[in-house]
This record gives sequence, C-alpha cells and structure tokens, in this order.
Amino acid sequence: MIADFVRILRAADIRVSPAETLDAAEIFDTIGFDDRNILKHALGQTLAKTETEKLAFDEAFESYFRLPEETPPPMAAAQEEGESDDKSAEQNSGEGQAQEAVQEGNPEGGQEGGAPSDSANQSLSEMLENNDMAALQAAMQQAATEAGLANAKLFTQQGMFSRRIMEAMGLAELEARIRQMNEGGETQEADKLREGRARLFDAVQDFVERQIAMRTKNAGRLLREDALSRIRLSNLDKSDMKIMRELIRKLAKRLASRHSRRRKKAQRGVLDIRRTMRANVAYDGKLFNLAWRRVKVERPKLIVLCDVSGSVAAVSRFFLMFLYSLDEGMPKTRSFVFSNRAGEITDVLQEGDLEEAMENALRQYGGGSTDYGMSMMDLAEATLDSVDKKTTLMVLGDARSNYGDPGHLVLKEFYERAGRVIFLNPEPETVWDTGDSEMKKLGAYCTHKQSCNSVKHVERVLDDLLRLSS
Amino acid sequence: MSKQKTARSAIEALMAGYEKLGYVSDEQIATALYLAQKLEKPLLVEGPPGVGKTELAKATAEYLGLNMIRLQCYEGLDEGKALYEWQYGKQLLYTQVLKEKLGDVMQGAETLDESMTRLGGFEDVFFSEQFLQTRPLLEALRADDGIVLLIDEIDKSDDEFEAFLLEILSDYQISIPELGTVKAKKPPLVFLTSNNTREIGDALKRRCLHLYIPFPDAERENTILQARVPELDDGLRANVVNFVQAVRDMDLKKPPAVSETIDWARTVVLLNMNVLEADFVKNTLNVLLKFKSDIENVESDLPRLMRESQSPEAAAE
Repeated sequence: MIADFVRILRAADIRVSPAETLDAAEIFDTIGFDDRNILKHALGQTLAKTETEKLAFDEAFESYFRLPEETPPPMAAAQEEGESDDKSAEQNSGEGQAQEAVQEGNPEGGQEGGAPSDSANQSLSEMLENNDMAALQAAMQQAATEAGLANAKLFTQQGMFSRRIMEAMGLAELEARIRQMNEGGETQEADKLREGRARLFDAVQDFVERQIAMRTKNAGRLLREDALSRIRLSNLDKSDMKIMRELIRKLAKRLASRHSRRRKKAQRGVLDIRRTMRANVAYDGKLFNLAWRRVKVERPKLIVLCDVSGSVAAVSRFFLMFLYSLDEGMPKTRSFVFSNRAGEITDVLQEGDLEEAMENALRQYGGGSTDYGMSMMDLAEATLDSVDKKTTLMVLGDARSNYGDPGHLVLKEFYERAGRVIFLNPEPETVWDTGDSEMKKLGAYCTHKQSCNSVKHVERVLDDLLRLSS
Repeated sequence: MSKQKTARSAIEALMAGYEKLGYVSDEQIATALYLAQKLEKPLLVEGPPGVGKTELAKATAEYLGLNMIRLQCYEGLDEGKALYEWQYGKQLLYTQVLKEKLGDVMQGAETLDESMTRLGGFEDVFFSEQFLQTRPLLEALRADDGIVLLIDEIDKSDDEFEAFLLEILSDYQISIPELGTVKAKKPPLVFLTSNNTREIGDALKRRCLHLYIPFPDAERENTILQARVPELDDGLRANVVNFVQAVRDMDLKKPPAVSETIDWARTVVLLNMNVLEADFVKNTLNVLLKFKSDIENVESDLPRLMRESQSPEAAAE
C-alpha cells in the first residue's frame, strides 16, 4: 500500500527514494491511519521536499486516501443516475460504447469455449440482482488488482483495463444469464440486468479513469521529453518549443550543478603541510611561509561561431540557448553568428531575455547564403589576437559553403594558436563531404569534430567541454 | 489504537507547550517536531526570512530543557570551523618549549634509526585531546544528555560542506583520523534552516524531514502577536495584522516577516497609539519594510491599505 502510494507520487513527478519510502513506512507505524490530517502532514514532511512537490503531494494524498472510504459513492451515484434517468447510464463515451459492442460480441466465444459455472461463489448477475453494492465494490477492487491496473501507464489503456476488469468480474456469466432470461421469456428481468450491467460498466470506467489519471499524471510528459531530447533539432515542431525550452533549462541546470563544485575548489586553500615543511627547511624548520593546497582550475576561453543560415539555424539556436543557460559555467564566452558575414552577439545574449535576443540575432545575421571564407575572416579579425592556448574555438555549421572558399586557411591559423578547435556538424557523418560540404578541408584543422543534432548531443558536447576545463 | 491516540495527544501537547514559551506553532509544525524526536531524524526547515525558523529551534531547546549549539553557515565554512581543528599554534609552541627535553630524550641515541624510534614513542602526544579544538558539530556529538543542534542557513554554505554533513546527519557519528570515530551518546535533535537562496542537495534532503513554514495567515499572526506583544489591545492588534497581511499581498522586494510585524507592534505600543493613523503608519513604515522602493510603493497605496486594515470585510469584497 505504501509502495503503491509512492508509485503514484513518482508519477506525479515527486522524487521519492527507497530510503524515504522506509521512512514513510515508519510513519505509518507511529502515526497510524486514524488521524488523517496528521498523517498528511507527516508524510508530506518525509516524502515531498520542495514547494512544488508539496503541492503535488497534497493533491495525490487527497485523491489516494479518499479512495478506501469513498469508492462506494461513484457506484451509488451511477445508480441514482441510472434510476432517475435510464438513458444516462447508456451515455458512455464513444469509446465506452465501442467497448460495449466488443463485450456484446465477446461472450459467445467465452460461452462456447467453456461455459462458466453459474453457481461459483456469488456470481456477477446475482450481485446485480441483489443490488449488493459492497460485494460489487469488493469484486471490482479485486478485479482491478487481477487486471494489473497498478501498472497502467497510458490513457489509451483505459478501454483495455475497463474491459479486463469487467471480464474478471464475470461478464461472460452475466451475458449468458441475460440471454438465458431472454430465451426463457423473462424479458423484464433481463432488461433489469442489462440496465445493471450498463451501470456497472459506467462505474468501472469511472474507477479506471480515476486510477489511471492518478498514476499517469506525468508519464506522458516524461515520455515526450525523452523523445524530444533525441529528436533532430531541425525537425522540431513549433508546438514543442515550449517543452524544449524547459528541457534545455533542466539539462543546463544539471550540467551546471555537476561542474560547479569543482570550480569552487580553487577559491580557497587548505594548509598543505608537506609543501609547508619543505618550504621552511631553510628556516630551521620553523613554519615561516605557509603553503596552501590549491587546485588550479583553468577557465576556458570559449569562442563560438554558429551558422545561422536556414538549415542549421535551429541547431545553432538551441546550442546557444544551452550554452547561455549554463550562465556561470562559461563566463568567458564570445559568440558569433554568421551566414554571409559574421557578427558578434555576446552582449546581446548576456543582457535581457535570451529568447528575444536570439530572435533578433537570427533576424539580423541569418538569411544570407552561407559564406564560410568571409565569415572566418570576420571572426579572425575580431578575435584572432586574443586566441591563446587556453582558448577553445567551437564552430557549429554544416560546412556547406556553396562551392565558395571554405575558409580553411583561416581556420588553420586558429588551429595553430588555440588549445582546441571543435567542429560540430548537424549533419550525420555519412553525408559529410558530399556535394558542397567542405568537411574534409575544414576538418583537417580541427582537434575534434562530431555530429551534433539533438539536445542529447549538445548536452554531451558541453559536458565534455566543462570536464576538460576543470 | 492507543498508538494513534498517543500521537495525536503528543502533538497537541507539543503545541500547547510551545505556546506557553511564546512560540505559536500549528499542527504542521508540531507534527514535524514530534516526528523529528520520534524518528530521530534531522528537520530541515525552509521558508521566507523571518517566519521563525531559528526561533523554532530555540523554543525546542527551551521546551526540552536542553542546551542549544548553533552553527551559523556561511560561504567558505569548512570542517575545520565546523567540526574540529588541531591547534597548530599550540603544537608548535609546545615543540619549542619542549625542545630541550627533546634533546634529553635523544641523547644517547647512536643512530638515526634509534632516535626515530624514540621520537615515535611520543608522537601521539601531539595529536591528543589536548590539542584538539572542538567546534560546534563535535561538541554536539559529545554532549552527554542530548542537545539541540541548529545548523542555521545551510543554503549559505558550499556543496562540499553539505556533503560533509551527510555522515553526521544519518549516523550521528564522525571519524577523526587521529582519534577514531566519535559517536553521539544520545543523538542530538538537529534543525537545519534554509532561506532557499539555493537548492539544497537531494542527498541531504533525503535524510531530513522537510518542513516548510510559510508566512502565517491572519489568525495565526494574531495569536503570535498576542503571545509576543501582550500589551497591544485586541482591536489595534487586528488592525496591525490586517495591515501587514495586505502589505504582504503587494508585489514587494521583501515582504514584511513575522519578526517585523512584532517589531512594528512594539513600536505601536511604545508610541502609545490608540488607533492606526495614516501619519503614524507612514513614519514607521521603515520598521516593516527594508527597501526604499518598497516603502515608496506602499506609501503610494497607503489610503487603500489603511481602509482595508480598518475593515477587512470590505477588503474581502
């Protein structure tokens, strides 16, 4: 039961560790179930650890711990509805009706395969005839467990699960009984049963819907995010932009936190006893000069040159977005974008809204036909003097220069001066050097070149960069 | 059955006990305190500044009749300052003073090997309790009959320090290489407070109970004022509370905290006010608000706020 609740919490995007689950178990032990309020506070304090998680927790708690006492009402409600308005029971969703059709056809098969015995414990038809709500409820719960409802992942499984539950509750028997009654001329009874069946079906659907909603709240989004992080950026749909931005922010935060600790190390020292001793041998062993232990962290100087012409623009955009989401990760970064000429956008990106800045930059520099030679020249003019061994140059582009000068000679100069030159190409490696792609010429002057066209790639590239730098 | 009953009554007793000490808690806070003691887990308290996070720890120490050790976190805090340190200076001084004595010991040692062996016999002297400077965390672990340990503003410390706390918080023990492992005789009751200036690591959060204290609602703030500034009469207190609550709803850099409400209420008492007058409010806004832009903001909206604070029913409409 605790495990089940924890699973629901996880579905609601609350991160619960096994250790916390154990804590929760201990809390059930000390507090018990009687005092709902205190239980809620207590569980909330152990399981939900941020404000947003608290909100999600409250919601999950309310819906989960209401179930035991309140499951009868939906049945009762369905019944009342059914009685006050016979039609309403039939007003299932389209899916539900289709479902019903399926079930209508189903029992024949079941019947022929091997008729279920009528008298095995209390059958579904008996329960309905007797209007035994409690028994129906219990049967439903049990059937739900048998059908594996706890493992439901997607909304689309709703139909399947309601059907499974109905079957587990003995639908085949019910159908048989109705037919039997019809044949025996007890039409009135048969109608009654049919009505009961419709009501039951409603209740089961409602039950399944609520259960699934509870369990899958975030599964859909997570699946989507996962898929998005792998999709090729150039194929990205406009509607996914929002999720994408969120995703990038998340990934950037992860990278930043992974690398921030190492960066801090250089900011203060610990007494390095050995070095102190050695340094002071000359002073008769009196500790005169203290030596501090230091980890030297070299901040990379990064120059980024991004192609923003048509095809590559999408990738460039995400790359820059990612890079600047890292904020403190890369303080010494200069960014340039180019299509026919290169222009610096460092300042634009650093101030104000990143999105907007990006739009402006793309509008200003994008659109022309790509000219690598000219752009490289522009870049060299602006930065070549400041390039030294600590500098990393990153070029992001498809290396397609429309048969013009690819600028590899300028790149060579960079290559000779800079610590590293990395070429990121959004095209897969198999199409490099086809058509007007000058990857071979340009690639000769790169320390590292790789294909980069999804957020996953971008993350990996930046991760490597940060690791090398610290 | 009785177990649940005891939980409920224990929590109610806690609430009553704290109230007597002038700390007005609610069910949520009391539950957290109860669990922290019962499960022997540290309690991470988060919330905006000035809602009484630190106060909670103090009140707990008073309630349980225990001493409190407070460790204020700041950037750059390391284990040398938080746990223990060898007193290098003292060690050096002792070596100097004992130099002659050392000569005596060494006398007669023919080879280098022999003198090393002789010296080796004394090395433990310099890494003994005598030269150990204990810091708050070690003191808390060594306390004989339990103690309240307050690690204040953990969000100000570095990630390293947070990681270093993990051992202490999960097992209530710590290893000192030269002396061995120190284990708490009685686990201290640990409070960690955070203002959320940075996200606390998951590993640490996982080991703690998490309590979020928001700004109190009008009713609770009223009770708090009643406990803290009993001189204030009922009508005026309601006015003060309503005013502060209304100010909090505005878009401010730093909304007034409970401690500021208390200060302001004291001001009202001190200046012998009988009603909240616009002039008085205007002149004493600096007690409530700590930013110039905030003060200007509130001043421009003062008539509305005054109206609302006089009759909260009208405000609700």
